[in-house]
Amino acid sequence: MTLIEFRNVSFVHQTGVTALTDVSLSIGKGETVAIVGENGAGKTTLVRHINGLLKPTKGSVLVEGKDTRETTTATLSRKVGIAFQNPDHQLFSESVENEVRFAMKNFGFGEDLIAQRLDWTLKFFGLDQYRKSSPLVLSGGEKKRLTLACILAWDPDVVVLDEPTVGQDALQKEKLGQIFKLLQSTGKTIIIVSHDVEFLWPIQPRLVVMSGGKVVADGQISQIMGNRELLEGARVTQPQLLRLYQGLASRPATPFLDVLEARDWIGGRKQKPEAR
Amino acid sequence: MYWLSGGFVFRKVISPFHRLDPRAKLLVSMEFFVLSLLSSTVVEVILILVAILLVATVAKSLRRIARTIAFSGLFAVFIFAINFLFGLGLLNALLYSVRFLAIISSTSVFFVTTSPDELEQIMKWMRVPRDVVFAFVTAVRFIPVVMLDAFQIMDAQKSRGLEFEKGNVLKRVRNLVPILIPLVVNSVIRSGELAEAMESRAYGSTPKPTSLYGMRLRWYDVAVAVPSLLLVSAVALVVVFHVTLYI
Ligand SMILES: Nc1ncnc2c1ncn2[C@@H]1O[C@H](COP(=O)(O)OP(=O)(O)OP(=O)(O)O)[C@@H](O)[C@H]1O
Ligand SMILES: [Mg+2]
Repeated sequence: MTLIEFRNVSFVHQTGVTALTDVSLSIGKGETVAIVGENGAGKTTLVRHINGLLKPTKGSVLVEGKDTRETTTATLSRKVGIAFQNPDHQLFSESVENEVRFAMKNFGFGEDLIAQRLDWTLKFFGLDQYRKSSPLVLSGGEKKRLTLACILAWDPDVVVLDEPTVGQDALQKEKLGQIFKLLQSTGKTIIIVSHDVEFLWPIQPRLVVMSGGKVVADGQISQIMGNRELLEGARVTQPQLLRLYQGLASRPATPFLDVLEARDWIGGRKQKPEAR
Repeated sequence: MYWLSGGFVFRKVISPFHRLDPRAKLLVSMEFFVLSLLSSTVVEVILILVAILLVATVAKSLRRIARTIAFSGLFAVFIFAINFLFGLGLLNALLYSVRFLAIISSTSVFFVTTSPDELEQIMKWMRVPRDVVFAFVTAVRFIPVVMLDAFQIMDAQKSRGLEFEKGNVLKRVRNLVPILIPLVVNSVIRSGELAEAMESRAYGSTPKPTSLYGMRLRWYDVAVAVPSLLLVSAVALVVVFHVTLYI
């Protein structure tokens, strides 16, 4: 079922910069979509259309079949949660817990539900010990994580994350990967904007490649990542595991998704006794 | 909002007016300013306003000045209403409100056509202390940045279900908190970072730093500045001091 549809969308910023040119895209319920592309390709601009912050200059955007021009951002946001690139553009409360409560209060959740979801989210994102601290004293990575927590707290159907891995250490990235798996299993529609192909690769999302305001490719990540020329244009590099896979003389039917898998295959193929 | 805010922010344009020495631009702008203050009839102010718009046309910035006028138009209406209600008469109320528009657009002409760099040169030329110049120019340069910040913050909070236009006056004022706090915090952080970055690049290490660019009056600037000054002085003499010319 199509949940989000871009119909020939073009967008010109007020400064006259054309950020999107004739973009058509449809995203089904429960899909995981990653959007990649060079800096200034129009990824953030695209994503801002989904909850109606921006309205297309030409064409239309439909969410659940309804034109975003006909509703408000506040209404759409109940369904579409967008976490933006820069955490400093949204944190304002005197404490971390109030920061997470803010949106739930705006949406009119009951106190019990708010308390319950607050507990869950803070624990889940490893922010529980900062409950009463000011969001402004958190580290960069923690602030970023808090913004994700703020969005997931109200349990939107569509989760849009703009560069979620920026500034996260290895452990937090791995946790983020787990969060995506969890969200996928609960049937959420996920849209990730990211430059981090190594992070995206194991999630195996549908990949949308943007370049110069246009969608230049759309399909399974393992297929698109095979096309070097295309990737170069959008300044995307191939994931290391795929490069390794392509370099092998004999290889399994599908690319490796993690290092252990690759190691086992290579180790097994060579059939060398391991050096002791 | 965005549309209105363009009226005082410099945008790079190639035009005969932009090419002028910044001092000449300041002079022209000040001449209009003084004339607006001196004017005593509605016809005069309107003539001045038309002249400003002509200059704006030459500077290819008519639209931006029009924005300024549209924006200050609200205040002008207010000024008109107050003066009229307090019994100053229709003509006087009109004079004051149009004069206000003329004053605002005369200064706008200068700011729209003068880059922060040129502003810096002018202030240095006026021997304003260097730290003051730097603070002022940085503030001007950061106006567009802070504006962009404000829009992005508003977007982020709208995406979290905040509705600005909802509720009574008190609620609306409270709705500003999620916007203003990040805006102020960001600006403070940014200025701190800027200060550190400047010091790391040896700001203030020599008492008299050299400049890459300087101002030089060319014939072109003199050809605009001198006649305009003469013209304005003549007008001022005739209008204000009622000097009659016997020719
Ligand atoms: N608020 C704005 N006003 C004017 N132009 C803008 C604005 N936001 C973005 N742009 C322009 O629109 C184009 C697309 O920007 P966008 O932010 O969508 O890129 P992006 O793909 O998200 O890049 P990045 O990877 O750097 O986040 C750029 O050329 C940018 O300069
Ligand atoms: Mg972006």
